[in-house]
Amino acid sequence: MRLNPLTLRKLKRFREIRRGYYSFLILVGLLGLSAVSELIINDRALAVRYEGTWTFPTYGPVELGADYGLEGTAARRPVDYRRLQAHFDEQGDGNRVIMPLIPWGPYYNDAVGGILRAEPPNFERGHYLGTDTTGRDILARLVYGFRTAMLFALAFTALTYLIGVTIGCAMGYFGGLFDLLFQRIIEIWSNVPFLYMVIIIFSVIPATFSVGARIGILLMIMVLFSWTGLTYYMRTATYKEKARDYTAAAQVLGASTGRIVFRHILPNTVATMVTFVPFTVVGAITAITALDFLGFGLPPPTPSIGEMLKQGTANLTTAPWIVSSAFAALVVILLLVTFIGEAVREAFDPRQFTLYK
Amino acid sequence: MPAVLKSAFLLPLLAMLLAACGGADDGTAASEELEQRRAEARAAMEQHFANQPSLRPALREAFERGEVTQEEIDAMAAAGELEPFFVFATPDDLPDDLTWQDGSDLPEFASPDAKKGGTWYTAVQDYPRTLRRVGPDANSGFRPFILDDVVMNFGQRHPEDISIVDGNFRYYPGIAESWAEDKVNRTVYVRINPAARWSDGERITADDVMFMFYFYQSEWINEPWYNNFYSRNYVRVVRYDDLTFSVTVPEAKPDMLGRVLGLEPLPAHFFDDLGPDFVDRYQWRFVPTSGAYVIRDEDVRRGRTIALTRNPDWWAKDLPFWRHRYNYDRIHFSVIRDTAKRFESFRAGELDGFGLNLPDYYYDRLPDDDDLVARGLIGKYTFYNERPRPTYGFWINSSRPLLDNRDIREGIHYASNWERVLREYFRGDYTRMHTTADGYGEFTHPDIRARDFDVDKALEAFARAGFTRRDSEGVLVNDRGQRLAFTLTTGYENLQDILTIMQREALQAGLLFRVEVLDATAAWKKVQEKQHDIQFTAFNVGPEMYPRYWETYHSVNAFDRAFLPDGSPNPERRPKVQTNNLQLIAIPELDTLIERYQASESAAEMRAIAFEMEEILYDDASFVPGFVMPFYRVAAWRWARWPEHFDVRLSRDPLQYFLGWIEPGERERTLAARRSNERFEPIIQVHDRYRPE
Repeated sequence: MRLNPLTLRKLKRFREIRRGYYSFLILVGLLGLSAVSELIINDRALAVRYEGTWTFPTYGPVELGADYGLEGTAARRPVDYRRLQAHFDEQGDGNRVIMPLIPWGPYYNDAVGGILRAEPPNFERGHYLGTDTTGRDILARLVYGFRTAMLFALAFTALTYLIGVTIGCAMGYFGGLFDLLFQRIIEIWSNVPFLYMVIIIFSVIPATFSVGARIGILLMIMVLFSWTGLTYYMRTATYKEKARDYTAAAQVLGASTGRIVFRHILPNTVATMVTFVPFTVVGAITAITALDFLGFGLPPPTPSIGEMLKQGTANLTTAPWIVSSAFAALVVILLLVTFIGEAVREAFDPRQFTLYK
Repeated sequence: MPAVLKSAFLLPLLAMLLAACGGADDGTAASEELEQRRAEARAAMEQHFANQPSLRPALREAFERGEVTQEEIDAMAAAGELEPFFVFATPDDLPDDLTWQDGSDLPEFASPDAKKGGTWYTAVQDYPRTLRRVGPDANSGFRPFILDDVVMNFGQRHPEDISIVDGNFRYYPGIAESWAEDKVNRTVYVRINPAARWSDGERITADDVMFMFYFYQSEWINEPWYNNFYSRNYVRVVRYDDLTFSVTVPEAKPDMLGRVLGLEPLPAHFFDDLGPDFVDRYQWRFVPTSGAYVIRDEDVRRGRTIALTRNPDWWAKDLPFWRHRYNYDRIHFSVIRDTAKRFESFRAGELDGFGLNLPDYYYDRLPDDDDLVARGLIGKYTFYNERPRPTYGFWINSSRPLLDNRDIREGIHYASNWERVLREYFRGDYTRMHTTADGYGEFTHPDIRARDFDVDKALEAFARAGFTRRDSEGVLVNDRGQRLAFTLTTGYENLQDILTIMQREALQAGLLFRVEVLDATAAWKKVQEKQHDIQFTAFNVGPEMYPRYWETYHSVNAFDRAFLPDGSPNPERRPKVQTNNLQLIAIPELDTLIERYQASESAAEMRAIAFEMEEILYDDASFVPGFVMPFYRVAAWRWARWPEHFDVRLSRDPLQYFLGWIEPGERERTLAARRSNERFEPIIQVHDRYRPE
């Protein structure tokens, strides 16, 4: 792909802003790691060597104990790989279980000392950030919660931009009655209280919907109520570009509307839009965390940062590690994204070549 | 804020207007209007006394089913076919052969060491929305303090001696001086203590009993439940003289005496202007009480605080069984919604006591080595009690697809790991519930044991229902591709951890619970509309002699027309909403047993029927019994004192029988000690006289 030299210059400028650029690298790295978090932090084995053959259960279906020669009730239960590991070690027949680096899943209730309660960080047992009130590993829940929040935020951003940019651009380009009509629609639409809509809609969704479907619905509701903010920027930018001579020239040359919009106007307006992207991401992460905190987000026991914050504030004095982990994680993510945002804005700011005297 | 400002301006204006009008005229008009109201109220009451018929149970049921109309009943009453409900008789009409009792052989249970005085500071979650005892919003968390635990009945069940003698619990006298029972005629005679007075100084008489029935039967109070209860469970009330009356009940159930002695008269003179506007008119008027505590107008600071004040002239203050109780001069309530905040207030010394029922609070937030506990400034008390237990468990809707299969329900029993929750989450403090009616003494089935968690038995049961294969997530599926997945709903947000633990455990047996946590009102609505799959909830139960079965298990509360005339299930039956049959149980032989149980007048027979019903319910397997909390736990500051054995057997919390007191001077001493680092002997008490084996 051949990039516009202007864009190239902007990217170069972005790389030069160290804080933003490194934040970007770190965030991409974290996202990459979280995409394969099942391999790093999980209660299912990476690999099992049983009677000479290797199996890799991480992404496979649930296995029963009988698959590994367990007897009695254990044969008919799903395998607990940590116990299987201990069992194989005891037998010493060359069977082996290789567990991920951190052998805890986000759902496993680990009763340290026979009691399910919040336990402080325990390196020996592998709970590096401690456990929550029902003995689940906080690091595992943070990692999986982070992944959901990031995926949600990225999908949210992509969708709001798609809708916002399209409608805003059309309003600016066609103007007239179309513009007038959509302005009124947006005014009305943006006055519908978003939080109430979430509460109402979530109260009628049957619990039979899967977690994925519920996240999808939440995403749709949030997108439906968030695209309006972008249209006004896009509309103004398009109006401005449309009035320029090069657009008129293209029209005179007989270019189709599609060509004018996609080849001429969009590339010239997108620079403004891009600067908003990181802040939309921040907004989305905050929103889903807040919804979870209020109890209108994902159903229990899905891991989420908001749910962890809620639990943390309820146990502030007795288990400060819950709230501090969740809080630190949230601050780090939001800081990274904000740094990226600042850098993008600076890199795409045309005014850096202007001198005000 | 603007509203307050506006009223500040309005007040002087209003005063000026009033002055201009001339107060005297106005006062006369108001008093005339009041006289008018009183006359109307009296007329309405007298008309009700004259016309209210007593309906035989059969006739009443026919009326409720719509087989008999109100007009027909009125016609029957006019023709004199129905006996009157209210009867005014003379002392000569009283039977001669009555054996009067007064419960005076029972032991007192309060401590003679108790000292009067001091203020007990505590908190409520919500401000009471009304001071009425009935009508909209009256059934709130504050009601015990203006009604249940404070107001006197004619006689009260002895909270320590829970034996059943001659088919009756033991009662000690309250407002009644003595009583006599006539089992044959299903009537209890009561003599009111001549010393009994309302808190405004008026005498308590038999007229207040007559009025009480009129009041509860009146539509003006906007309480259908009371209307039904007071016309269905009593058939006649007779006034013999100022202090003697009798009440007749439809069946001579074993607890007949309790049903009459448990009544609370109402001050007829206070309600002398009762009318259709009762709900608004009495919203914030404190009803004169027979009990020790009153609420003064100046103590109602709406939305913020409210206080009970001890009536120094309370008529029963030296009465046996009532003396040495109700010792605090004042009980002060402030509103603190958040539990964690209430706890911090308590630690700061702003509240005198705090409930420690949850293990988390008892062990982690206020551990024995906490500075305030170790220095003896705050005491921790555990009291094992013995009373009917709230029915915490999984209520399975047996009309839903798959859940209508008994094998699946049985599998759910075996796949529910209450043992782990009890052991690791409740830390072994709570115990397993075994029947649908635990804690009823000899009415609780002694042998039934709840099914323990057992993956093999669960898998077997599911296999019988055709669920043999696991899908990729480990959930069982049948040949038609249905997954073994059910929604598990609850309104108990603070207990949702239990459900997430049990969800993981159930997956071992291939069962998926989809946990759904709703707010309390929404969850209750769901279950009342019978929209649930499985609900984790509980019914609260009072200290009654025997459990109720009709509400929860009779088929009329499960479906509209559950059976066809030939006795086979009606294929078009629809769940009946707004009833307590949450499992939608409809078993003809159970119906028969419930009806026999309701009609039975012998405790032994009722017990036998109850056991038989419990066995049927165990086999039906649509209620997974959960847990029982066999005690209550509280923390209190050092100045709070209790009797040697802390509380009585039937107690629910320390502010139920009011046996505690505040040691004079101790509050100041304790607070000074907190500042000066002084130490006392730690107070950690476990009172386990009534601990089950």
